[in-house]
Amino acid sequence: MSADGSPTVATSGLSVSFGSRQALDDVSFELWSGTFTGVLGPNGAGKTTLLGALLGTITHRGSARLVGRPAYVSQAGAVDASFPIDALGVVLMGRYPRLGWRRRPGADDRARAHEILEQVGLAAEARTSFGALSGGQRQRALVGRALAQEGDVLLLDEPLTGVDAPSAEVLLDVFEAERRSGRTVVMTTHDLAQAARVCDRLLLLNRSLVADGSTDEVFRPEVLRRAYGGELLLVDGQTALLDDAHHHHHDR
Amino acid sequence: MLEALDAPYLQRALVAGLLLSVPLGLLSCWIVLRELAFFAHAVGVATFPGVVVGLALPALGPFAGALLAALGFSAAISASEADHRLRGGAATGLALAVALAAGAVLLTALGAGAAPVDRLLFGSLLAVSSADVLLCLVGAAVSVGVVALLLPRLAATTFDRAWATPAGAGERVTASAILGLVSLVVVCALPAVGSLLVSALLVAPAASARLITERLGPMLAWATGLCAFETVVGLLLARALDLPPGAAIAAVAGLGFGLLAAARAAANRRMRVAPT
Repeated sequence: MSADGSPTVATSGLSVSFGSRQALDDVSFELWSGTFTGVLGPNGAGKTTLLGALLGTITHRGSARLVGRPAYVSQAGAVDASFPIDALGVVLMGRYPRLGWRRRPGADDRARAHEILEQVGLAAEARTSFGALSGGQRQRALVGRALAQEGDVLLLDEPLTGVDAPSAEVLLDVFEAERRSGRTVVMTTHDLAQAARVCDRLLLLNRSLVADGSTDEVFRPEVLRRAYGGELLLVDGQTALLDDAHHHHHDR
Repeated sequence: MLEALDAPYLQRALVAGLLLSVPLGLLSCWIVLRELAFFAHAVGVATFPGVVVGLALPALGPFAGALLAALGFSAAISASEADHRLRGGAATGLALAVALAAGAVLLTALGAGAAPVDRLLFGSLLAVSSADVLLCLVGAAVSVGVVALLLPRLAATTFDRAWATPAGAGERVTASAILGLVSLVVVCALPAVGSLLVSALLVAPAASARLITERLGPMLAWATGLCAFETVVGLLLARALDLPPGAAIAAVAGLGFGLLAAARAAANRRMRVAPT
């Protein structure tokens, strides 16, 4: 909760359309600080659109607002990996929005960036160019950039997609530490089982909000089926999702 | 060759070239990193009809005519690229051909007051006046100031627009600044280099610098240095061999890139062959 106990992220009647296509339809929910929310749903469900509306980069009807400053991790595919920059430079980039037009990062910003590199396990790669990092290391650098923003609400767009297991564990520890320090953490994901394991709150999205509640309330076959339809399989009591971007099973 | 440096016209061309090397080198990095090389070439060509009209209308003048043409072209391309069906250079390629055609038609129709076509397209050592040098100084100062101010935002939006926009580094501001500055610097470079080949200096230095370094700061420095070197060598070659300066500079810049790329390829081959 924020200081006065009001939600830190809230949407009310949020709708977005791109031309004739309705991407989000009448989505309303409230989130509080110190929580880790998973936003789940099939491809095209509006997960990224929802983050865009909260960030104010997508035109929408209804309200979408967050209290305090956002920090953001965009999808890994949005980044130009050939850009000449090293891991330290990527993390320092997160400091610029705080510095305004004329100031440049100082010694304290650099010290903070090195701390963050340590936290995401890239201390040894500080001077390695971004393009030479592995997929998981790149994602850790991009999460480091978001940490450097020191926002109140951490919005993560599929931060674990295509990331190796050791990197995913590092990142999940980082997200959990952010939640414990009182930030509001929101993560979109395709991975139902992982979300159920790490999030305390799940939003099930399929253009409209299909379900919203604690992980125990939402992570049930009859609820999941409402979002995923026939594309959801249950195998030996475990969840397998056939709608994923790569059409492979998630059955951990 | 060195006694030719006493010639005031050559001194003016060299000073103008060195002044412009700084903004050309800096901007070329953003043109290469933002994949605007084709656009940069087209902006140069788009100034051609503007210069012709400017020469025919003394009230307008070639500088203002070229600048208006370049800015109008940039704005038109930005607007048409908003239509996803025309992305990937279709509008740029079309406008480039139309600009070259318009320049040729206008040159024939307005004829009298205009300069010879080769001078407009490939530049002339004799064409750089003292006023042009002053314009180069102003153009360079404005460009360097704006690029320095926008540097973090340029880096953020080029690296990751999806992150930069909500973080407050507006793509619209940075993209407009780059298009506007490219137009300004191209127009400043026109008298010496001409409209057809100015793009060589907006692409080659940064493309070469990118092969040398993996860091942005050194890339900006290398591109600026290479641009100055290639401009000076090109201008001296043009004087010594009586070549159009635009062609001489573009040839030097192209040769420089070719040598660097070949050296890099050879080094990479050696590294693959060497036992690890």
